[in-house]
Amino acid sequence: MPPRRQRHHFERAVLDNGLKVLVVPGPSDNLIGVSVVYDVGFRSEPEGRTGFAHLFEHMMFQGSANVGKVEHIRLVESAGGIMNGHTRADLTAYYEALPPSALELALFLEADRMASLAVTEENLRNQVDVVKEEILVNVINRPYGGFPWIPLPALAFDLYPNAHNGYGDFSHLEQATVEDSEDFYTTYYAPSNAVLTVVGSAQPDEVFALAERYFGPIAHRPVPDHGPWPEPRLAKDRHQALRDPKIPQPAFVVGYRTVDPVGQLDRYVVYHVLANVLAEGDASRLRARMVYRDHNVTDVGCMLGTFGDDDYFVRDPSLFQVVVFHPGTATTEALLKAIDDEIGRLASDGPTKEELARVVAGSSAEAWRNLDSILGRAHIVGSLETIHGSAELIDELPVRLGAVTSADVAAAAADLAGQHRAVLELQPAKS
Amino acid sequence: MATTMTRPPIGRLRAAKAPTVLEDELPGGVHSVFVSRRALPLVELRLVVPLAPDQIRKPALTSVLSEALFAGTERHDRVALAEAIEGLGGRLVAHVDEDRLVVTGSVLAEHLQRFLELLTEVLTVPTYPEPEVRADSDRAADEMVIALSQPEVVARQALRRRMYAGHPYATPLPTPTALKRVKAADLRLLHQSLLAPPGAHLVLVGDFQAPRARGLTEDALGKWLRRKGSRDSDLAATGTPRPGPLELVARAGSVQSNVRLGGGAPSLSDPDWPAAALAGSVLGGMFSSRITANLRERNGYSYSPRSSFRHLRAGSSFVLAADVASAVTAASLVEIMYELGKVATTGITEDELELARRYVVGRFSFETATLPGLASTLAGLAIKGVGLDYLVKYPKGLIATTKGQVDEAAQRYLGPHGLATLVVGDPDIVRDQLSRVEEVVVRQP
Repeated sequence: MPPRRQRHHFERAVLDNGLKVLVVPGPSDNLIGVSVVYDVGFRSEPEGRTGFAHLFEHMMFQGSANVGKVEHIRLVESAGGIMNGHTRADLTAYYEALPPSALELALFLEADRMASLAVTEENLRNQVDVVKEEILVNVINRPYGGFPWIPLPALAFDLYPNAHNGYGDFSHLEQATVEDSEDFYTTYYAPSNAVLTVVGSAQPDEVFALAERYFGPIAHRPVPDHGPWPEPRLAKDRHQALRDPKIPQPAFVVGYRTVDPVGQLDRYVVYHVLANVLAEGDASRLRARMVYRDHNVTDVGCMLGTFGDDDYFVRDPSLFQVVVFHPGTATTEALLKAIDDEIGRLASDGPTKEELARVVAGSSAEAWRNLDSILGRAHIVGSLETIHGSAELIDELPVRLGAVTSADVAAAAADLAGQHRAVLELQPAKS
Repeated sequence: MATTMTRPPIGRLRAAKAPTVLEDELPGGVHSVFVSRRALPLVELRLVVPLAPDQIRKPALTSVLSEALFAGTERHDRVALAEAIEGLGGRLVAHVDEDRLVVTGSVLAEHLQRFLELLTEVLTVPTYPEPEVRADSDRAADEMVIALSQPEVVARQALRRRMYAGHPYATPLPTPTALKRVKAADLRLLHQSLLAPPGAHLVLVGDFQAPRARGLTEDALGKWLRRKGSRDSDLAATGTPRPGPLELVARAGSVQSNVRLGGGAPSLSDPDWPAAALAGSVLGGMFSSRITANLRERNGYSYSPRSSFRHLRAGSSFVLAADVASAVTAASLVEIMYELGKVATTGITEDELELARRYVVGRFSFETATLPGLASTLAGLAIKGVGLDYLVKYPKGLIATTKGQVDEAAQRYLGPHGLATLVVGDPDIVRDQLSRVEEVVVRQP
């Protein structure tokens, strides 16, 4: 019996200023999720301003015409709501989940900062300090911090938008000015460059009317360029070894190129299945072999995308990554050989019928789990609409994954086996 | 272009509707909880057992057991077992801390029965094969080496030792050497006592009718439920931590300091708890807190300073945590002491109380809105012996709490004098600055 299919209901409107509004009513315990996803991320940062998109995300909580510094958060919290934001290569998402009675408040807050952000020298300098602390805690002071999402794109890509560090160099962050901020805001935070999404216990007509009232007065500005910035695959293998005295054990990542995640979505989902056949769960090929048979790696995983959680939320170019943590009892060459073997076997034989059925069951359960949290659902739906123009993918992706054949997986494995790749190693201090 | 807008109202404060709970004792003395939630075709499972004091003191053993539990049964080797579980869209893992072992499961609802049969197999006929156990203990040792390189893990462990001196909870994380020494025979023995049915708690939440799920569970788990066994997991209550001098845990080369202050807190069944939860939220438990406003938004010293409560069977604790740049370690500590001292002496405002009340009530409804969130909440209540009507009583208690009660809770629990203080950081950079504020004792991790 095939698992139950999900069928959400999607309602859309576009305001005169170009803002896309999407409502996806759905079961929830009387809660709503609201997101605004802007079509701008690390890849749109000006040269010399690495880290700016993420710094700007912080500035969006610093106040606007009718909302004081961090008052946005206070109002959401006082409505009994929770909120967050994140910046990735191709998008920046802001989202909150609240009781339905706070729908109007949430739209007011999102509209006010889209209409009239208040960036001052003082709050910019304060947030530069906060972001530097964030980088210290997440990257510089943390063993394996920022691995592999910062160094791998730098090795695997050549074009600045794709290759640079999205958290930013401290010197670039320190040079950021109020004027940079205003330029970035004017260009990328235009209503025509955003999607407003409401999910959960909401009536589409009410959302459209409130959206018109609060977002309607914001002036239209042209849609900016937001890539993609495609680049050719590697002409030869690349290898880099970084030494990090903080880490106790070595690690490495292998970066391959996938097909275009948006233009060739039907083929891209095959890489998702391939990733799960290789490394999702203890029965997967690489885990069964390297972790449980050869006992020479501590952990191995595969993922799609450039950041780690952006598989379907990134444009071309995207990566297929194999990440390995190991105690150093085997050489990197030997471990790479094991990975090559397994990819080679899949390229010639494809996964077995049972293996494919297992991965499809797992992916389908995973797709349901991703929709369980209303906060998560709000930004997933808005992000799919932004990158793919199709929020319907929340229902369709499990179906497309289910349609992948063994021959498809073999072809994707052959694509990996036949291309030049980037291998990035992290090595502990010499003992 | 900035027009003045009237602010919409924030809406009425309303606690979420509590779920209908089918609570029962299964044969064998297993406390069971079933909650029907039908929005997604999934079932979430928790099987939780309390650790006895001598088990808490042998963390190497319990931690390897949590990995090797799925290393094989009389019918399936490890990979075949994983294939069977994953084929149901299922996941089954175990995790152990200083208080309990939890088996966490999730499965497509249509496959619940088969999933429970596989769980029964794991519980009744596990094999703990020698080579698998050897590999699992080696891998646990490797994972521990990585964990111990993380400064927040070092800080958590050091604070535990400070706060629970003399109690089993003070037991440090297992060393890599101790993990490597674990033997299959020890695990088989531990399994018999730790995973015996009496005193275990089983929680299922998801797409089913509760009475039917209960019947199906009793059938599918029958072989395990019929196992004889006994459990003595009595644990002395944790005492009140002694503050003592500031402990500086040396981490040479650290570019940040992990500042931690910890003390006692009321348990979930204590009448003080809702007031303490609100006091803690105003101080550091939400983004709109005094600690965030001070350390992050005013001074830029820290990305995510916060306070939280943790509830274990034998005691509850309050912890304030801030990771700050080395150069501003003492300056941050001064601000933290100021905020703690201020809230403990002059209390909070009515506005702060209203904000915190709405936030904590709202946050609780989100925590129990997802399948894993509700299952974990129920399992956490059950293992601590807290009645499940907590789901109703807690929001009600929050709504009824007065400012006087919150001020009193702040006095009792948040005063800096009653808290143990420690800093993980580079002594060469932070020792002198800290010595100007407090007496400092340096310790190697």
